[in-house]
Amino acid sequence: MKKPIEDNLKDLEGLNTIDLIAKKLNVKRSTAIKKVYELRKQGYVETQGGGKQPRIYRISRIKIRQIGNPGLYDIINKYSKIKIVRPYEHRIIGKKLCIEEAIVRAIKTKEFRVILASLSLFNKIKDWHKLYQYAKKENVRRKIGALYDVARKTILVKKMDNKTMNLLLNAKSEKRHIIENMKSKEFNDIEKKWNVYIPFNKSDLERYKE
Amino acid sequence: MIDTKKQEELFRFIGEKLNKKIECYVIGGSAMMYYGMKDATKDIDLVFEKEKDMEEIVRLLKSLGYKEKETKILYPKKKNVPVLLERDARFDLFSEKIVNTVLSDAMKERINAVYEYNNLIVKVISPEDLIITKCATERAGDRKDALEIIKKTNVNWDVIIKESINQTELSPYLFPLFLFDFLYELKEDLKADIPKEVLDKIRKISEKMLEKEYKKTKK
Repeated sequence: MKKPIEDNLKDLEGLNTIDLIAKKLNVKRSTAIKKVYELRKQGYVETQGGGKQPRIYRISRIKIRQIGNPGLYDIINKYSKIKIVRPYEHRIIGKKLCIEEAIVRAIKTKEFRVILASLSLFNKIKDWHKLYQYAKKENVRRKIGALYDVARKTILVKKMDNKTMNLLLNAKSEKRHIIENMKSKEFNDIEKKWNVYIPFNKSDLERYKE
Repeated sequence: MIDTKKQEELFRFIGEKLNKKIECYVIGGSAMMYYGMKDATKDIDLVFEKEKDMEEIVRLLKSLGYKEKETKILYPKKKNVPVLLERDARFDLFSEKIVNTVLSDAMKERINAVYEYNNLIVKVISPEDLIITKCATERAGDRKDALEIIKKTNVNWDVIIKESINQTELSPYLFPLFLFDFLYELKEDLKADIPKEVLDKIRKISEKMLEKEYKKTKK
Protein backbone atom coordinates (compact mmCIF):
# COMPACT_ATOMS: atom_id res chain seq x y z
CA MET A 1 0.00 0.00 0.00
CA LYS A 2 1.25 3.49 -0.86
CA LYS A 3 2.31 5.46 2.23
CA PRO A 4 0.68 8.88 2.75
CA ILE A 5 2.97 11.75 1.82
CA GLU A 6 2.76 13.11 5.41
CA ASP A 7 4.87 10.15 6.56
CA ASN A 8 7.90 11.87 5.05
CA LEU A 9 7.47 15.04 7.08
CA LYS A 10 9.39 13.93 10.17
CA ASP A 11 12.51 13.17 8.10
CA LEU A 12 12.28 16.35 6.08
CA GLU A 13 11.44 18.98 8.69
CA GLY A 14 13.60 22.10 8.36
CA LEU A 15 15.54 23.53 5.44
CA ASN A 16 16.20 21.33 2.42
CA THR A 17 17.36 21.37 -1.17
CA ILE A 18 16.07 18.88 -3.73
CA ASP A 19 19.33 16.92 -3.56
CA LEU A 20 19.13 16.78 0.22
CA ILE A 21 15.54 15.55 0.08
CA ALA A 22 16.53 12.86 -2.42
CA LYS A 23 19.35 11.78 -0.09
CA LYS A 24 17.20 11.79 3.05
CA LEU A 25 14.44 9.74 1.43
CA ASN A 26 16.83 7.63 -0.59
CA VAL A 27 14.98 8.35 -3.82
CA LYS A 28 15.84 9.71 -7.27
CA ARG A 29 16.00 13.50 -7.80
CA SER A 30 12.86 13.38 -9.97
CA THR A 31 10.97 11.55 -7.19
CA ALA A 32 12.16 14.14 -4.67
CA ILE A 33 10.80 16.94 -6.88
CA LYS A 34 7.44 15.13 -7.04
CA LYS A 35 7.37 14.71 -3.25
CA VAL A 36 8.05 18.42 -2.71
CA TYR A 37 5.33 19.25 -5.21
CA GLU A 38 2.83 17.09 -3.31
CA LEU A 39 3.84 18.45 0.09
CA ARG A 40 3.66 22.01 -1.18
CA LYS A 41 0.16 21.39 -2.53
CA GLN A 42 -0.88 20.42 0.99
CA GLY A 43 0.68 23.51 2.53
CA TYR A 44 3.73 22.00 4.25
CA VAL A 45 6.39 23.67 2.08
CA GLU A 46 7.60 27.21 1.66
CA THR A 47 10.14 28.04 -1.02
CA GLN A 48 12.98 30.49 -0.57
CA GLY A 49 15.35 31.70 -3.25
CA GLY A 50 15.15 30.76 -6.88
CA GLY A 51 16.56 32.57 -9.89
CA LYS A 52 20.28 33.03 -9.29
CA GLN A 53 20.04 31.77 -5.72
CA PRO A 54 19.72 28.06 -5.01
CA ARG A 55 16.15 27.08 -4.20
CA ILE A 56 15.67 26.17 -0.56
CA TYR A 57 12.57 24.43 0.74
CA ARG A 58 11.41 25.06 4.26
CA ILE A 59 9.39 22.03 5.27
CA SER A 60 7.19 22.16 8.33
CA ARG A 61 5.51 19.27 10.10
CA ILE A 62 2.39 21.27 10.74
CA LYS A 63 0.22 23.69 8.84
CA ILE A 64 -0.70 26.90 10.55
CA ARG A 65 -3.16 29.52 9.37
CA GLN A 66 -1.61 32.48 7.59
CA ILE A 67 -4.04 35.24 8.45
CA GLY A 68 -3.27 38.94 8.52
CA ASN A 69 0.02 40.40 7.34
CA PRO A 70 3.64 39.21 7.46
CA GLY A 71 5.53 39.67 10.71
CA LEU A 72 9.10 40.70 11.51
CA TYR A 73 10.93 37.62 10.20
CA ASP A 74 9.13 37.66 6.85
CA ILE A 75 9.80 41.37 6.38
CA ILE A 76 13.52 40.89 7.09
CA ASN A 77 13.73 37.88 4.77
CA LYS A 78 11.97 39.82 2.03
CA TYR A 79 14.41 42.71 2.04
CA SER A 80 17.67 41.44 3.49
CA LYS A 81 20.51 39.60 1.82
CA ILE A 82 21.07 37.77 5.10
CA LYS A 83 18.21 35.36 5.67
CA ILE A 84 16.98 34.25 9.07
CA VAL A 85 15.15 31.14 10.18
CA ARG A 86 11.76 31.97 11.60
CA PRO A 87 11.43 30.58 15.11
CA TYR A 88 7.66 30.64 14.63
CA GLU A 89 5.00 31.94 12.26
CA HIS A 90 4.53 35.62 13.03
CA ARG A 91 1.44 37.38 11.70
CA ILE A 92 0.07 40.84 12.34
CA ILE A 93 -3.66 41.31 12.11
CA GLY A 94 -5.38 44.59 11.35
CA LYS A 95 -2.30 46.51 10.22
CA LYS A 96 0.88 46.15 8.18
CA LEU A 97 4.27 46.12 9.86
CA CYS A 98 6.17 49.00 8.28
CA ILE A 99 9.92 48.95 7.68
CA GLU A 100 10.47 51.67 10.29
CA GLU A 101 8.80 49.64 13.03
CA ALA A 102 10.47 46.41 11.84
CA ILE A 103 13.96 47.87 12.46
CA VAL A 104 13.01 48.91 15.99
CA ARG A 105 11.47 45.50 16.67
CA ALA A 106 14.59 43.77 15.35
CA ILE A 107 16.69 45.66 17.92
CA LYS A 108 14.26 44.72 20.66
CA THR A 109 14.74 41.00 19.93
CA LYS A 110 18.39 41.38 21.11
CA GLU A 111 19.23 38.54 18.73
CA PHE A 112 22.52 38.83 16.86
CA ARG A 113 21.43 37.45 13.50
CA VAL A 114 18.07 39.25 13.48
CA ILE A 115 19.76 42.62 14.13
CA LEU A 116 22.50 41.90 11.60
CA ALA A 117 19.96 40.95 8.91
CA SER A 118 17.82 43.98 9.70
CA LEU A 119 20.59 46.43 8.68
CA SER A 120 19.39 46.07 5.09
CA LEU A 121 16.09 47.59 6.05
CA PHE A 122 17.70 51.02 6.49
CA ASN A 123 17.84 51.21 2.72
CA LYS A 124 14.07 50.82 2.50
CA ILE A 125 13.19 53.59 4.95
CA LYS A 126 10.67 56.01 3.49
CA ASP A 127 9.97 58.16 6.51
CA TRP A 128 12.90 58.95 8.82
CA HIS A 129 10.71 60.82 11.27
CA LYS A 130 8.48 57.76 11.61
CA LEU A 131 11.58 55.71 12.42
CA TYR A 132 12.47 58.27 15.08
CA GLN A 133 8.98 58.07 16.59
CA TYR A 134 9.12 54.27 16.89
CA ALA A 135 12.66 54.46 18.27
CA LYS A 136 11.57 57.03 20.85
CA LYS A 137 8.61 54.90 21.94
CA GLU A 138 10.90 51.92 22.59
CA ASN A 139 13.82 54.03 23.85
CA VAL A 140 16.31 52.77 21.27
CA ARG A 141 17.11 56.06 19.55
CA ARG A 142 20.91 55.93 20.02
CA LYS A 143 20.96 52.28 19.02
CA ILE A 144 19.10 53.11 15.81
CA GLY A 145 21.59 55.89 15.05
CA ALA A 146 24.58 53.67 15.73
CA LEU A 147 23.28 50.78 13.63
CA TYR A 148 22.46 53.20 10.83
CA ASP A 149 26.09 54.35 10.81
CA VAL A 150 27.26 50.71 10.76
CA ALA A 151 24.92 50.00 7.83
CA ARG A 152 26.25 53.06 5.97
CA LYS A 153 29.77 51.67 6.23
CA THR A 154 28.83 48.37 4.67
CA ILE A 155 25.84 48.57 2.41
CA LEU A 156 24.17 51.11 0.21
CA VAL A 157 21.89 53.08 2.52
CA LYS A 158 19.86 56.21 1.88
CA LYS A 159 20.99 59.33 3.70
CA MET A 160 19.17 60.19 6.89
CA ASP A 161 17.98 63.78 7.15
CA ASN A 162 19.92 65.99 9.55
CA LYS A 163 16.94 66.76 11.76
CA THR A 164 16.32 63.07 12.54
CA MET A 165 20.04 62.47 13.01
CA ASN A 166 20.25 65.28 15.58
CA LEU A 167 17.14 64.10 17.38
CA LEU A 168 18.61 60.60 17.65
CA LEU A 169 21.93 62.00 18.87
CA ASN A 170 20.22 64.06 21.57
CA ALA A 171 18.50 61.06 23.13
CA LYS A 172 19.38 60.45 26.76
CA SER A 173 19.12 57.67 29.35
CA GLU A 174 19.46 54.67 27.12
CA LYS A 175 21.24 51.42 27.92
CA ARG A 176 24.58 51.06 26.11
CA HIS A 177 24.35 47.43 25.07
CA ILE A 178 22.36 46.40 22.02
CA ILE A 179 23.08 42.79 22.96
CA GLU A 180 24.16 42.08 26.52
CA ASN A 181 27.96 41.72 26.95
CA MET A 182 28.72 42.29 23.27
CA LYS A 183 31.09 45.03 22.12
CA SER A 184 32.80 45.75 18.84
CA LYS A 185 36.54 45.62 18.35
CA GLU A 186 36.39 47.68 15.20
CA PHE A 187 33.51 50.15 15.26
CA ASN A 188 34.87 52.16 18.18
CA ASP A 189 34.33 55.49 16.42
CA ILE A 190 30.62 54.77 16.05
CA GLU A 191 30.43 53.42 19.59
CA LYS A 192 31.99 56.63 20.88
CA LYS A 193 29.74 58.87 18.80
CA TRP A 194 26.50 57.18 19.92
CA ASN A 195 27.56 55.96 23.35
CA VAL A 196 26.30 52.50 22.37
CA TYR A 197 28.15 49.18 22.06
CA ILE A 198 27.96 47.67 18.58
CA PRO A 199 27.61 43.87 18.68
CA PHE A 200 29.33 43.37 15.31
CA ASN A 201 32.80 43.37 13.87
CA LYS A 202 33.65 44.01 10.23
CA SER A 203 33.88 40.28 9.52
CA ASP A 204 30.24 39.83 10.52
CA LEU A 205 29.23 42.30 7.87
CA GLU A 206 31.27 40.53 5.17
CA ARG A 207 28.17 38.41 4.59
CA TYR A 208 26.58 41.42 2.92
CA LYS A 209 29.38 41.54 0.37
CA GLU A 210 29.30 37.85 -0.59
CA MET B 1 -20.11 27.55 19.49
CA ILE B 2 -17.31 29.93 18.47
CA ASP B 3 -16.02 29.54 14.94
CA THR B 4 -12.74 30.81 13.50
CA LYS B 5 -14.28 34.05 12.27
CA LYS B 6 -15.91 34.84 15.59
CA GLN B 7 -12.69 34.10 17.48
CA GLU B 8 -10.78 36.41 15.15
CA GLU B 9 -13.33 39.17 15.66
CA LEU B 10 -13.20 38.80 19.42
CA PHE B 11 -9.39 38.90 19.54
CA ARG B 12 -9.31 41.94 17.27
CA PHE B 13 -11.90 43.68 19.40
CA ILE B 14 -10.07 42.92 22.65
CA GLY B 15 -6.76 43.99 21.09
CA GLU B 16 -8.20 47.33 20.06
CA LYS B 17 -9.78 47.89 23.46
CA LEU B 18 -6.61 47.18 25.45
CA ASN B 19 -4.45 50.14 26.45
CA LYS B 20 -1.24 48.17 26.77
CA LYS B 21 0.28 45.08 25.20
CA ILE B 22 -0.85 41.82 26.78
CA GLU B 23 0.57 38.43 25.86
CA CYS B 24 -1.26 35.16 26.28
CA TYR B 25 -1.03 31.56 25.12
CA VAL B 26 -3.92 29.96 23.34
CA ILE B 27 -4.63 26.32 24.12
CA GLY B 28 -7.42 23.81 23.57
CA GLY B 29 -9.95 24.09 20.76
CA SER B 30 -9.00 27.71 20.10
CA ALA B 31 -5.43 26.68 19.31
CA MET B 32 -6.69 23.76 17.21
CA MET B 33 -8.58 26.21 15.02
CA TYR B 34 -5.28 27.94 14.15
CA TYR B 35 -3.95 24.57 12.98
CA GLY B 36 -7.08 23.95 10.93
CA MET B 37 -7.92 20.89 13.05
CA LYS B 38 -11.26 22.26 14.17
CA ASP B 39 -13.88 24.62 12.78
CA ALA B 40 -15.45 25.68 16.04
CA THR B 41 -14.95 25.47 19.80
CA LYS B 42 -17.13 25.72 22.89
CA ASP B 43 -14.82 28.13 24.66
CA ILE B 44 -11.70 30.22 24.18
CA ASP B 45 -8.90 28.97 26.45
CA LEU B 46 -6.20 31.50 27.23
CA VAL B 47 -3.21 31.15 29.55
CA PHE B 48 -1.40 34.16 31.01
CA GLU B 49 2.12 34.31 32.35
CA LYS B 50 1.32 37.36 34.46
CA GLU B 51 -1.58 37.42 36.89
CA LYS B 52 -1.94 41.17 36.28
CA ASP B 53 -2.48 40.63 32.56
CA MET B 54 -5.23 38.14 33.25
CA GLU B 55 -6.87 40.55 35.67
CA GLU B 56 -6.77 43.24 32.98
CA ILE B 57 -8.56 40.94 30.50
CA VAL B 58 -11.10 39.92 33.16
CA ARG B 59 -11.78 43.61 33.86
CA LEU B 60 -12.17 44.36 30.17
CA LEU B 61 -14.47 41.42 29.48
CA LYS B 62 -16.62 42.25 32.49
CA SER B 63 -16.92 45.84 31.25
CA LEU B 64 -18.18 44.37 27.99
CA GLY B 65 -20.95 42.49 29.78
CA TYR B 66 -19.27 39.14 30.38
CA LYS B 67 -20.38 37.43 33.58
CA GLU B 68 -18.27 35.21 35.79
CA LYS B 69 -19.47 31.59 35.94
CA GLU B 70 -19.11 28.85 38.54
CA THR B 71 -16.15 26.58 37.75
CA LYS B 72 -17.15 23.56 39.85
CA ILE B 73 -19.51 22.07 37.25
CA LEU B 74 -16.88 22.07 34.52
CA TYR B 75 -13.89 21.26 36.70
CA PRO B 76 -15.14 19.17 39.60
CA LYS B 77 -12.55 18.52 42.34
CA LYS B 78 -9.77 20.17 40.30
CA LYS B 79 -7.15 22.68 41.35
CA ASN B 80 -5.87 25.63 39.29
CA VAL B 81 -9.20 26.05 37.58
CA PRO B 82 -9.76 28.96 35.21
CA VAL B 83 -11.83 32.08 35.56
CA LEU B 84 -14.88 31.47 33.38
CA LEU B 85 -16.47 34.46 31.72
CA GLU B 86 -19.53 34.14 29.55
CA ARG B 87 -21.72 36.25 27.32
CA ASP B 88 -22.30 35.16 23.72
CA ALA B 89 -18.95 33.35 23.91
CA ARG B 90 -17.16 31.74 26.85
CA PHE B 91 -13.60 32.52 27.91
CA ASP B 92 -11.63 30.15 30.16
CA LEU B 93 -8.74 32.17 31.55
CA PHE B 94 -5.84 30.42 33.26
CA SER B 95 -2.95 31.98 35.12
CA GLU B 96 0.25 30.01 34.40
CA LYS B 97 -1.23 26.73 35.69
CA ILE B 98 -3.74 24.74 33.69
CA VAL B 99 -5.36 22.39 36.20
CA ASN B 100 -2.60 19.75 36.64
CA THR B 101 -0.21 21.30 34.14
CA VAL B 102 2.19 24.20 34.37
CA LEU B 103 2.92 26.31 31.32
CA SER B 104 6.62 25.44 31.29
CA ASP B 105 9.50 27.37 29.72
CA ALA B 106 9.95 24.52 27.24
CA MET B 107 6.30 24.88 26.21
CA LYS B 108 6.79 28.62 25.75
CA GLU B 109 9.80 27.99 23.53
CA ARG B 110 7.90 25.45 21.43
CA ILE B 111 5.17 27.85 20.30
CA ASN B 112 4.48 27.60 16.59
CA ALA B 113 2.88 30.93 15.90
CA VAL B 114 2.40 34.43 17.24
CA TYR B 115 -0.59 36.48 16.12
CA GLU B 116 -0.71 40.16 16.98
CA TYR B 117 -4.17 41.66 17.28
CA ASN B 118 -3.15 45.22 18.03
CA ASN B 119 -2.38 45.10 21.78
CA LEU B 120 -3.37 41.47 22.24
CA ILE B 121 -0.57 39.07 21.41
CA VAL B 122 -1.72 35.50 21.05
CA LYS B 123 0.83 32.68 21.06
CA VAL B 124 -0.18 29.25 19.80
CA ILE B 125 1.27 26.28 21.68
CA SER B 126 2.57 23.25 19.79
CA PRO B 127 0.36 20.23 18.98
CA GLU B 128 2.44 18.13 21.41
CA ASP B 129 1.73 20.57 24.24
CA LEU B 130 -1.92 20.65 23.25
CA ILE B 131 -2.04 16.92 23.97
CA ILE B 132 -0.30 17.51 27.31
CA THR B 133 -2.82 20.17 28.33
CA LYS B 134 -5.75 18.08 27.08
CA CYS B 135 -4.51 15.29 29.30
CA ALA B 136 -4.57 17.67 32.25
CA THR B 137 -8.00 19.23 31.80
CA GLU B 138 -9.83 15.96 31.01
CA ARG B 139 -13.08 17.62 30.08
CA ALA B 140 -15.72 16.13 27.86
CA GLY B 141 -14.42 16.30 24.32
CA ASP B 142 -10.74 16.49 25.30
CA ARG B 143 -10.12 12.89 24.24
CA LYS B 144 -11.80 13.48 20.90
CA ASP B 145 -9.68 16.60 20.39
CA ALA B 146 -6.49 14.73 21.27
CA LEU B 147 -7.44 12.03 18.79
CA GLU B 148 -7.88 14.67 16.10
CA ILE B 149 -4.47 16.18 16.88
CA ILE B 150 -2.82 12.76 16.61
CA LYS B 151 -4.63 12.10 13.32
CA LYS B 152 -3.72 15.42 11.73
CA THR B 153 -0.21 16.00 13.06
CA ASN B 154 2.95 14.06 12.85
CA VAL B 155 3.26 14.04 16.65
CA ASN B 156 6.76 14.08 18.08
CA TRP B 157 6.28 11.60 20.93
CA ASP B 158 9.71 12.26 22.41
CA VAL B 159 8.64 15.84 23.14
CA ILE B 160 5.52 14.60 24.93
CA ILE B 161 7.47 12.09 27.03
CA LYS B 162 10.11 14.69 27.97
CA GLU B 163 7.49 17.27 28.87
CA SER B 164 5.61 14.81 31.06
CA ILE B 165 8.81 14.26 33.07
CA ASN B 166 9.37 18.01 33.17
CA GLN B 167 5.83 18.55 34.47
CA THR B 168 6.51 16.21 37.39
CA GLU B 169 9.40 18.47 38.39
CA LEU B 170 7.21 21.56 38.19
CA SER B 171 4.11 20.31 39.98
CA PRO B 172 3.29 17.83 42.76
CA TYR B 173 1.68 15.40 40.33
CA LEU B 174 3.18 12.26 38.77
CA PHE B 175 2.35 13.50 35.32
CA PRO B 176 3.50 10.48 33.29
CA LEU B 177 0.88 8.46 35.16
CA PHE B 178 -1.93 10.73 33.92
CA LEU B 179 -0.43 10.70 30.49
CA PHE B 180 -0.24 6.93 30.37
CA ASP B 181 -3.92 6.57 31.34
CA PHE B 182 -4.96 9.24 28.88
CA LEU B 183 -3.03 7.81 25.94
CA TYR B 184 -3.87 4.19 26.80
CA GLU B 185 -7.59 4.99 26.73
CA LEU B 186 -7.13 6.91 23.50
CA LYS B 187 -5.47 3.91 21.90
CA GLU B 188 -7.84 1.28 23.31
CA ASP B 189 -11.17 3.10 23.08
CA LEU B 190 -10.72 5.50 20.21
CA LYS B 191 -8.11 3.52 18.25
CA ALA B 192 -5.63 6.40 18.19
CA ASP B 193 -2.42 5.76 16.29
CA ILE B 194 -0.01 5.80 19.24
CA PRO B 195 3.09 3.60 18.87
CA LYS B 196 3.25 0.75 21.39
CA GLU B 197 6.85 1.67 22.22
CA VAL B 198 5.68 5.11 23.32
CA LEU B 199 3.12 3.67 25.73
CA ASP B 200 5.68 1.16 27.03
CA LYS B 201 8.18 3.94 27.64
CA ILE B 202 5.67 6.11 29.52
CA ARG B 203 4.51 3.07 31.56
CA LYS B 204 8.10 2.32 32.59
CA ILE B 205 8.72 5.95 33.56
CA SER B 206 5.47 5.95 35.57
CA GLU B 207 6.39 2.72 37.36
CA LYS B 208 9.80 4.05 38.28
CA MET B 209 8.27 7.25 39.62
CA LEU B 210 5.71 5.33 41.62
CA GLU B 211 8.41 3.11 43.10
CA LYS B 212 10.41 6.18 44.07
CA GLU B 213 7.37 7.75 45.70
CA TYR B 214 6.59 4.53 47.52
CA LYS B 215 10.12 4.35 48.90
CA LYS B 216 9.89 7.96 50.01
CA THR B 217 6.65 7.41 51.93
CA LYS B 218 8.01 4.19 53.52
CA LYS B 219 10.95 6.13 54.95
